[in-house]
Amino acid sequence: MLKRGSGVRATLTTLLMMLPGLAAFFGLFFYPMMVTVVRSLRPEGQLVGWTLEHYVMFMSEPRARGVIVLTFVLSISATLCSILFSVVLCLVLRRKPRGHRFFRLTMLIPRVVPGLIGALGLLLLFGSRGWVNLLLMQFVPGVEEPVSINYTIPGLILCYTWLYFPFTSVTTLSTLESLDPAIEEAADVSGANRWQVLRHVVIPLIMPGILAGSVLTFMAAFGAFSIPLIAGGNHRPLSVEIYKQINLTPARWSAASARAMIMAALQVAFLTLYMRILRRPSI
Amino acid sequence: MTPSTFQGEGRGEGPIRKAFSMPSARKLLVHTFLLCFALMIYLPFMMIALRSIGRGWFGRLWLPPELTLDWYRWAIEVTNIVDITKNTLIIAVLAVAVSTLIGIPTGWAFGRRKIPGKELLMAMILLPRMIPPIAYGLGVAQIFYRLHLINTHFGVALAHVAICAPYAILVLSATFEGLDGRVLEAASVCGANPLRTFFHVILPLILPGILSSMIFTFTTSYNEFTLTLMSYGKDTVTLPVRTYLAIGEGYWEVTSAMSIILVIPSLLVLFMIQRQVAPEKLVGGFKGV
Repeated sequence: MLKRGSGVRATLTTLLMMLPGLAAFFGLFFYPMMVTVVRSLRPEGQLVGWTLEHYVMFMSEPRARGVIVLTFVLSISATLCSILFSVVLCLVLRRKPRGHRFFRLTMLIPRVVPGLIGALGLLLLFGSRGWVNLLLMQFVPGVEEPVSINYTIPGLILCYTWLYFPFTSVTTLSTLESLDPAIEEAADVSGANRWQVLRHVVIPLIMPGILAGSVLTFMAAFGAFSIPLIAGGNHRPLSVEIYKQINLTPARWSAASARAMIMAALQVAFLTLYMRILRRPSI
Repeated sequence: MTPSTFQGEGRGEGPIRKAFSMPSARKLLVHTFLLCFALMIYLPFMMIALRSIGRGWFGRLWLPPELTLDWYRWAIEVTNIVDITKNTLIIAVLAVAVSTLIGIPTGWAFGRRKIPGKELLMAMILLPRMIPPIAYGLGVAQIFYRLHLINTHFGVALAHVAICAPYAILVLSATFEGLDGRVLEAASVCGANPLRTFFHVILPLILPGILSSMIFTFTTSYNEFTLTLMSYGKDTVTLPVRTYLAIGEGYWEVTSAMSIILVIPSLLVLFMIQRQVAPEKLVGGFKGV
């Protein structure tokens, strides 16, 4: 292969190899991002001049706070639901019940099908004529009319959880399986009951895995676009709010860009905070 | 953390075996939970499938009263799904090709070469997967308008590359990192020139990695919605975008038929590749995940 002697040449080769990746990063991500930044600072519909009016306008809108709160409520609740569900599911799957391979594959399905279709299926299942409502009306006394689940916030959280829990469950399961059983046995021998082993040994040990996975779930849920677009109804998180701006006539690109920047900034800020908490050894 | 194999591992029978001797009530609970989980995942598709073959399914009926394939005929004739599938596949293949071409050299550099600040650079490369796509999608749309890339297959594919390339780089750098340097040395000691070494030694070793990277980028592109919505034109409508438009038009039956057409390849791929590559990787994307 390459001779190690010439340092400059080696560096140059490395750089040359990195070039396609860097070109893709700068051309398809960084440059568009900069275009968005610049656009958000231009007066609407113009290509010259600088203004902060779009940020000021959005932040002073009384609705803006609602939109931001909704985005966070949806993504944080979906993350929490995913953690709860994934931990239970992984603890069950870890014991290798019959057909566990099938369930492992099942776990991945929400991530391999387009989010739109998952959302469509959930809308049909939970709709007023869907099976869930039929079940409720037939077997739960007191429920005569269909319960509205679709287009409500709990319904959206359900959709988000359905679509994004695999991020958390896959990491949790892999952490759980790399856990040394000797540790649990030691706790077991020392007289801890099953609940104590779980509470004081297993959960603290797999916590880093759970948190790492939940970061992914959070990011996906925060940036979710297709699901709230079709299943959100009147509840519009930031991503849909952005899209609505460029779908107006005339399209409000600058307003959309300003919202996009706010969204990206919020996500980065929240992630930094999350990472900082994650690093803390006390967990 | 060590990545677990898909089969899990056989060691650690102690507490696990004990769990199996659990009382039957507990067992029942576990099985009910798993059943609910499977129903929760599969029933939405079941509903879509039923809706796509049912006619006159109104009111409090559990099943459609009449079966029909009309909606599929509609999907093919009215929404022109054949062309749309063609678009989707062309775009996905282009996106896979470009991402792989980017991923191989860059992945090699990340996996096998000394780079100062490697971790930071990798985090930077993965940034497009962290920032919401709609944020840079806005920029992509404006740039592509200027460059007349809107409404071309290559343009849409290029927009997908923004999100596929980081993934290819990540998977391939892990593959290349796992390559044993001694094998390469052995090849050169035995007198193979670099070209020969590449084709006869390296390529067979990295082929599985390249294949899994291609499958994952293909799936990503096939399912991508946000970036397509930002860069498509009337000649480059893809299946996810068409499904979205159909939902907007309110023809739920036709939408369902289209969704089934769209979703079957994804599921087939998942069940086909599960033995060759660990499909869990599809969900990961970051170091240690």
